[in-house]
Amino acid sequence: MEIAFELNGAAVAVEAAPHESLRAVLRRLGMFSVHYGSDSGETGAAAVLFDGRLASADVITAVQADGHAVTTVEALNVSPELHPIQAAFAAVGAFQSGYSAGAMILGTKALLEADPDPSEDEIRDMLSGILDRETAYAKPVEAVKRAAAVLRGDQPEPFGPLILEPMTDGVHPAAVSPDDPAPAAPNSVPRLVPSREVPEMAVVGRPEVKVDAVRLAKGNPAFTDDIEPRGMLYAKVLRSPHAHARIARIDDSAARALPGVRAVLHHGNTPRVKYASGGQSWPNPHPHDQVSFDDKVRHVGDRVAAVAADTVEIAEEAVRLIQVDYEVLPAVFDERQAMAAGAPVIHDEDDTHHICDPERNLVHHIGARRGDLEGAFAAADRVFEQTFRVHQVQQCPIEPHISMAWLDSDERMVVRTATQVPFHTRRMLAPLIGMDIKDIRVIKPRIGGGFGAKQEMLIEDIAAHLAIATRRPVRLELDRAEEFYASRTRHPQTITFRTAVDRDGRLLAQDMYVLGNTGPYGTHGFTVQIVSGLRGLSSYNAGAKRFTCDVVYANIPVPGAYRGYGGPQGEFALECHMEDIARALGADVIDFRRLNWVKVGDEMDIAPHLGERAPAEDELDEYPKIMSSGIEECVAQGWREIGWHRRVDPAWKQPADRPHVRRGIGFAFAMHGTAIPFLDMGGCSIKLNDDGSFNMLIGATDLGTGADTVIGQIAAEVLGVPLDDIKVYSSDTDVTPFDTGAYASSTTYISGTAALRAAEAVRKRLKERAAMLLEIDEPCTIELRDRRAHAPDGRSVSLEEIALDSLHMQEHEQIMGTASHVSPDCPPPFGAQFAEVEVDVETGQVTVTKLVMAVDCGVAINPITASGQVEGGMIQALGYAHCEEMVLDDEGRMVNPSFGPYKIYRADEMPETVVYLVQTMEDSGPFGAKAVAEIPKDGVAPAVRNAILDATGVAIDDLPFTPERVWRALRDSA
Amino acid sequence: MAAYHRPATLDDALELLSEPDRVALAGGTLLNADRAPSCLEAVDLQALGLNRIETAGGEVRLGATVTLDEMSRSPAVPDRLRAVARAEAPSTLRTLATVGGLVARRRSDSLLLAALLAHRGRVALAGPGGAGEVGLAEILGEGVPAGTLITAAAIDPAGAVAVAATGRTPADVPIVAAYGRRAAGVVRIALTGVAAVPVLVDWSDPAAGLAPEGDFRGSAEYRLELARILARRVIAELAAGPAEADEEPAGRGQIAGSGK
Repeated sequence: MEIAFELNGAAVAVEAAPHESLRAVLRRLGMFSVHYGSDSGETGAAAVLFDGRLASADVITAVQADGHAVTTVEALNVSPELHPIQAAFAAVGAFQSGYSAGAMILGTKALLEADPDPSEDEIRDMLSGILDRETAYAKPVEAVKRAAAVLRGDQPEPFGPLILEPMTDGVHPAAVSPDDPAPAAPNSVPRLVPSREVPEMAVVGRPEVKVDAVRLAKGNPAFTDDIEPRGMLYAKVLRSPHAHARIARIDDSAARALPGVRAVLHHGNTPRVKYASGGQSWPNPHPHDQVSFDDKVRHVGDRVAAVAADTVEIAEEAVRLIQVDYEVLPAVFDERQAMAAGAPVIHDEDDTHHICDPERNLVHHIGARRGDLEGAFAAADRVFEQTFRVHQVQQCPIEPHISMAWLDSDERMVVRTATQVPFHTRRMLAPLIGMDIKDIRVIKPRIGGGFGAKQEMLIEDIAAHLAIATRRPVRLELDRAEEFYASRTRHPQTITFRTAVDRDGRLLAQDMYVLGNTGPYGTHGFTVQIVSGLRGLSSYNAGAKRFTCDVVYANIPVPGAYRGYGGPQGEFALECHMEDIARALGADVIDFRRLNWVKVGDEMDIAPHLGERAPAEDELDEYPKIMSSGIEECVAQGWREIGWHRRVDPAWKQPADRPHVRRGIGFAFAMHGTAIPFLDMGGCSIKLNDDGSFNMLIGATDLGTGADTVIGQIAAEVLGVPLDDIKVYSSDTDVTPFDTGAYASSTTYISGTAALRAAEAVRKRLKERAAMLLEIDEPCTIELRDRRAHAPDGRSVSLEEIALDSLHMQEHEQIMGTASHVSPDCPPPFGAQFAEVEVDVETGQVTVTKLVMAVDCGVAINPITASGQVEGGMIQALGYAHCEEMVLDDEGRMVNPSFGPYKIYRADEMPETVVYLVQTMEDSGPFGAKAVAEIPKDGVAPAVRNAILDATGVAIDDLPFTPERVWRALRDSA
Repeated sequence: MAAYHRPATLDDALELLSEPDRVALAGGTLLNADRAPSCLEAVDLQALGLNRIETAGGEVRLGATVTLDEMSRSPAVPDRLRAVARAEAPSTLRTLATVGGLVARRRSDSLLLAALLAHRGRVALAGPGGAGEVGLAEILGEGVPAGTLITAAAIDPAGAVAVAATGRTPADVPIVAAYGRRAAGVVRIALTGVAAVPVLVDWSDPAAGLAPEGDFRGSAEYRLELARILARRVIAELAAGPAEADEEPAGRGQIAGSGK
């Protein structure tokens, strides 16, 4: 039926089907700022102004909009400049991926039109319907306040960090007085403690606005789904209703007969090529236990068949028409039962190799050790043993997985896809679709969040198979439920620590056993558990260490990479265990850790033995050492901010006006890695343009983290130009240099160093050309700054003049530089994580009231994007600790595959979050940088658990801390 | 939806709804979220003029297509009830979800429905046989009669109010919640999460007769315990509040159990 409505002030008339959502019609009309997050509207990514009110266009049918006024963010794009609201969001770093930017800006517009000076509660209420998995809402709230101020005629100060004096000498602990107040500043403002070793720089260390801010603020077409190739088909996947079954028969005749269906693929008509879907370096770790379509399904949601059709609706109908006879098999879900006698064998096929013991579902048995473990335990004064269980959660990018595939005019396969690993995807896809790597091009546009879920070749093979079968472009997008049970998740684990301690409280030995659940497929199963061991056994010195791990198959949704990558599991167990040992010894919980945690100069003694290509103990004669650590400064700053002294204040701990409430504060020491040594690699290419600007091509994959901005800042610093003169493009396997991808906290450190070296190569040539123009014999005496090359005698020549001369006048050349980088080092960032909670001791409800993280990430190249990483990471980690859980029924079906039942934090219920960036100078990193992306995931769960313990005296060793679990623990302890 | 209708009058709407496979469409937060193919036809109520909030005779009358956002902003609605309406849905869905839809949906965990119960909620219905009103508890128990349409919900806004809830996070849909109201010497306590729909309970023994079903957020045992704790807190808060001249002290008032 034809409908008419007002769109951004202009009358439009359009045909719409009765079931068609307003979101779909708006996107059909070119309003690409309106994004899909779910069909039920709870993500808010598709929110528009509907008669001036913020509303999710997912749950408004287009026909309902007939006669109404609809506003999208495109209405604000009336000039090249940003609207003040858009500018405010850009200025404070409120966007990471920016996938829901349009909704936030429109909500702000409506709010400020109703009230030019809203309260923070009103701002948070406005944002309550727009789920943000990235920012912790601190900077969006700040953006709204800033926009309000600007629109009221105020001129707010430029947004930047609060610079603080160090409290320590960098090595020794500081005594913090209860009377010493924490610095006053909005929570969105990062507190920055500079290092005396770090020089003042022009671009690095500055709160530069993100290079993609304009496109995100304006809602310009930037994401995978924001192009529409002519003749595109829509794909849907038939998924298994059973946790474990053999496909006895599949009949696709009715589906194929449906008008509009162009292809139906399943195990009967698709080549059987074994692979492992984890996006990792070549050669992918074994076992290669997957095929595009199998004759067996191993979890509810597993692939059975795929359809390409003219419309989504036809594809969905065709999926329903596929007849499948299943021979249902027994299933096992819990890793503690997977190896038991009589458990069903999940991989009984004969073409999967390198499974450790398929009959017992044992995928890997991993071991590493140093020192005399048995002797250390025998000599110990005290031995402590404790077992922890960590659960399954999902990454929840607001943009679900989406891929488009087509054959180009040269009949090469082009895949435009939301991926963190475009180069791995290209390599892994090739054998599956029977094409050479050289005939495949993978393009990564902007990504609406990934957090590891997109470190996977998850759906690209399906889209490509269908594109080959139909010779038409094919689009495949997961819906929200599929994103939960057919994407990737965090590995559940059961972890046991055994620790030997001497009479002085020094650790003598640590013995860690991890029973890891890799679900039905191996994918990242080996490496994630390795990282659990690495994180669990690297933080503290002990003369003897042992890591033992069994990785087992089970019929649950597939675990994979998730930000932190095994670290959050390992550090949860470790930091709870250390807390409890300290208490058992009667020691101060921080002093006990301090006595044992690794310090500058200490060896990372077990790290080299835990890796994909790890040597044995007798093959190594030298171990990597800690070269930088700001942990004492982190502890001091965090101690003051959280008000640690209140732990011994009975009046604070038990508020008189609420007798059922207990308060507590918890601490966790956090240590992570920076990239995978000798493995993670990045490349960069920079070329000079006529006007003295530069194009920078990087394979690094910015998934909202600000990587493009940070790497651009590094190049700009070297080349003596403002960031705006570096035009960053990432990433496209045909165009940009190789990069392993966005994972393992590697991008700034690895890809940033590649950019540094490429820029240095360009700088060298610029100086030589400048010396030629200035007739100077020593090019090395020339300095680049302010877009000019300066000679020691005060003369200078602009980069534009150098460019025009080299491109058009004499000794013609394209000034350019290319470099790549792989590091032998893995310098750990350190962090002090604090959490403050209130526990309702009658109901078990835990309310987290404040999170403070002080993190040593080396030099923060951009303190705004770095603090945004910490804020967002902490809140994801809080969800892990507190409220998120994938719940399966007895048949293996997820019972809560939507937001709400699967609870993630929203803007109007956030604890206070405060971030301290403690600088150290890490000589192996670009301009002193280490990593910051993953360490915020490590300390929150143990800090919250230890805060509950501080509040109630009850230790809970299973996650998450949901009300009934806490209530039962309190009751059992009574 | 297979077809869409937007009647201009209540009579036209009722006539359309008299045909099988037609459903009333209000805000759409439930119906439109379901993308499964359907032969149902939508009868959109937006043009019927049911979007008014009126006060008369000491009661507040909320039209069926009044959104929760409008309810949360209306000065005619008591402050605590406005806050509950605001908490019922996030900002992007609250502007669409309606009072009529709330009642028709009968969610067990709806604190706003519990609040309407405590405020002596009544539901105005229109059908082929004419218009009438029934108690909200009756609608919650038995559903909206076939062929009829909710046109409004009426509440008594007076009285002191107390709310207690337990959820995973502060803005989570409560596992169990208690909404208590004291007015004219009568204490009414309504609970969520302990039965198939929100229910009024006996304030002297709030868990009596309850047999909740457990789920992953809370077992039956836990929900019963929460019912006792939260009801007790609500009663205590009402008792501690200022007494009205015509009231007996809370905790000794008339027990309201039927919701009629």
